Amino acid sequence: MPNPPPATPPWLPPLLVGGAILLLWVPLMLLTNWSGSQDLLARGNADCSSVFACAFQLRNPIIPSPPQLLRGFYQMATPLFSTDTVLFNGLITLGETLLGLALALTLGLLTATLLVMSRASERMILPWIVASQNVPIVALAPVLAVLLGQYGVQGLLPKGIVAAYIAFFPLSIGIAKGLRSVPSLQLDLMHTYHARAWQVYVWLRLPIALPILLTSLKISAAMALVGSIVAEISIVSFAGLGPMLLSRSYYSDMVGLWVIMLVAAGLGIGLVQSIDLLEKRLLFWQRQR
Amino acid sequence: MTNLTDPCLLTHSQPQGSPAPLVTVQGVSKIYPVLGRDPVVALHHVSLEVAAGEFIALIGPSGCGKTTLLRILADLDQPTQGTVQMAGRSPQQARQDRLYGYIFQAPTLLEWRTALQNVLLPLQVMNWPAAERLEKARTMLKLVGLELFHHNYPWQLSGGMQQRVSIARALAFDPDVLLMDEPFGALDEITREKMNLELLRLWEATHKTIFFVTHSIQEAVFLSTRVVVMTPNPGQIAQIIPIDLPQPRGFETWKDPRFFQLTTQVLESLREVYA
Repeated sequence: MPNPPPATPPWLPPLLVGGAILLLWVPLMLLTNWSGSQDLLARGNADCSSVFACAFQLRNPIIPSPPQLLRGFYQMATPLFSTDTVLFNGLITLGETLLGLALALTLGLLTATLLVMSRASERMILPWIVASQNVPIVALAPVLAVLLGQYGVQGLLPKGIVAAYIAFFPLSIGIAKGLRSVPSLQLDLMHTYHARAWQVYVWLRLPIALPILLTSLKISAAMALVGSIVAEISIVSFAGLGPMLLSRSYYSDMVGLWVIMLVAAGLGIGLVQSIDLLEKRLLFWQRQR
Repeated sequence: MTNLTDPCLLTHSQPQGSPAPLVTVQGVSKIYPVLGRDPVVALHHVSLEVAAGEFIALIGPSGCGKTTLLRILADLDQPTQGTVQMAGRSPQQARQDRLYGYIFQAPTLLEWRTALQNVLLPLQVMNWPAAERLEKARTMLKLVGLELFHHNYPWQLSGGMQQRVSIARALAFDPDVLLMDEPFGALDEITREKMNLELLRLWEATHKTIFFVTHSIQEAVFLSTRVVVMTPNPGQIAQIIPIDLPQPRGFETWKDPRFFQLTTQVLESLREVYA
């Protein structure tokens, strides 16, 4: 009897890719920083003695070296409970993103329900939903901020609303598709019980839409994160990764920009992974198929 | 009421002196329009009267309209012509009054619900009090021999067990009529015979009126009080054969010489299909 191949732990493949990136990091860094390093050496006022050594300590490297990045992260993450750290600002952005996702999910469920309710409502609403996605978010954000500011809405909410604005599209389209994909026999079954429309919706359509809903939520989570950072940049804000990004880029602080970028990437990965976990718990009944 | 001007119309009345029929099908036709071709006649002037407590087997090859007739009884399809009455009501009214339970060819269980929760579904729809519906669902699962599988999900049950859950679900709200559309068609021979015995036991215990669609001559004769033989193109009733095998039936029935006579008789009336 052939032995089954040894099971690969799920964390191994991504870790291997991570290792490859680390291996490529230094060569790539050397390549991109080489000319800057030559200039630095030519000026003669740096405490490095070769192009190779200088490439590790440029003030504004295109790609920072591992020690530079670690030092940059340490500087931006301390003191731990200050409101200037990249972690605190990351939390602000995360809060806006989660708020946006919650709004998008509510709005998405609502529009999806309207979309599947009747052909007429679909023909009325769908073009507007599609059109809404063609408004450049960067242009829309300040308008929304001023509009909401008039009514005293400030803080996380305006950015959450911008995040929701772009995140709700995949959700409403995905949920609508899910709500429609009920097998006809199951609809017949509910019909024989003389079930009301809301009963069919809650006990049949929603559970069947759940897998597509969660997949759409993952796409939306990434979009909402981008949305809230864009909103922070285009609406005047004092906290979040967006303003940090803006000021670091003003001072061409490449190390700082890399740190912020990596924190944002970490947030995105964390969000999608959390939804993945949620999916595994909620869709236990799909695993055995 | 025989319409002599129409040779296709076959009226099969109950013997004199029996109570008023529970289900009456009168001159029912169903025609499906097909784009760019001749319409398909799924049912052609079908008439049938069924008394309460009868077990009616509908048999015939694919396309003879058995399922269509069942779906019309259940108000899942509307007849093009003719009328159907169940306990003096239209199919729509009968459905709204939850007079019948429908059992599909596939178990049609909701995968995210356990066996118990699946049986609870119709009772939830019908808004039974929580304690009462739980007790009823438990009783029903016990009735179909699944008392040890309350908390199993459909994918943790065999095909036969899944179909038993769907039968328990259809019986849960105590409808007078059971409409069964080839419920055991997907099961293996041995499981099928076991399910036949269980269904007989259920029928004897509950006195339901059952309409049972099948492809199997043996199954039809073994279970029913009357076999309705249907032929296709167009779908109509060829013959109705009363089954006078003694009740209660069981293993002995399969060995009864009368059983062979009756299956042969059903086969004979299906002859034109084989020709």
